[in-house]
Amino acid sequence: MSESKKPGLLLIGAGQILTSMIVSGFLLGYLLDLYFGTQPIFILILGGLGFIGGFLKVYRLLTDPELQ
Amino acid sequence: MSQAAEGSSGASTVEYIQHHLTNLSVGEGFMTWHLDTMFISIALGVLMVVVGGRVARNATDGVPGGFQNFVESILEFVQTQVKDSFPGHNPLIAPLALTIFVWVWLMNFMDLIPVDLLPLIGTWIGLPYLKVVPTTDLNTPMAMALFVFALVLFYNIKVKGLGGYLKMFLFHPFGKFAMPANIVMTAIEEIAKPLSLGLRLFGNMFAGELVFLLIALLGGAAALGAGLLIWFPLQVVLDLAWLLFHILVITLQAFIFMVLTIVYLGMAHTTDH
Repeated sequence: MSESKKPGLLLIGAGQILTSMIVSGFLLGYLLDLYFGTQPIFILILGGLGFIGGFLKVYRLLTDPELQ
Repeated sequence: MSQAAEGSSGASTVEYIQHHLTNLSVGEGFMTWHLDTMFISIALGVLMVVVGGRVARNATDGVPGGFQNFVESILEFVQTQVKDSFPGHNPLIAPLALTIFVWVWLMNFMDLIPVDLLPLIGTWIGLPYLKVVPTTDLNTPMAMALFVFALVLFYNIKVKGLGGYLKMFLFHPFGKFAMPANIVMTAIEEIAKPLSLGLRLFGNMFAGELVFLLIALLGGAAALGAGLLIWFPLQVVLDLAWLLFHILVITLQAFIFMVLTIVYLGMAHTTDH
């Protein structure tokens, strides 16, 4: 990413990035569960992964805004 | 003033808010068409195109008039944003960013029109419901976010090639020794983009609209008894304060939607991740 001059403004979205990562994890897990008929398994795993990924992403965004 | 409390119980407050949050729709279930959202957003789009076209036709090389100056400053503003955060060259990006910024701003601006005015006019011409602000209808922000997402997918595949894009899924967050986790994580990340883009705009606009409705209810309580008119000055002050603050919010939300669109498309255009 070329140097962006306003990483500060984009940090407004940090909270939503965390929540939407979790939500999309659950969403993907729900769909996979629906497809394979394995009710709580994927939704739990992917929800947890989304949680971890969301934290990781926000952490990276806050420590190094260039990474996006 | 609002025509809030036509009944005389607390239920009318709930009814008032629910009435304002109901779309004028036809059809049922999945095929529900929100006519007010569609009509207002398309009308604002047409307004944008017509006014923009007129300014472009009457544009002069010399000293520009007031409105041309204003439009040019918006154009320059968007152009700077694109130059700052978009690597490479794509003639589609700047017009897209400009359209998104101006259109979202106009749709958000409907929030600043008094909450009861247009629904009241709507009841005169026989419309039972009228939800004025298109961006408080989840369909509008999500449709735009999904369109941006489709563009991101298209350019990802066009620039990196299908193989390059899939490689990003395989190796992206944790390196090559955790492929299954990588696929899942990248998929989650990609889905989170349009989700956060759409929900952010929707959430901010919906909450702003709700606050306007609640402030309108303060004065509307006077319909229960003239004694409650003492709240009217408070309503005026609160409404004005929230209005002024909300100008900032709608501009910021339109701006963020635009910038994130540019950034996401920019990420699609860079080969190294």
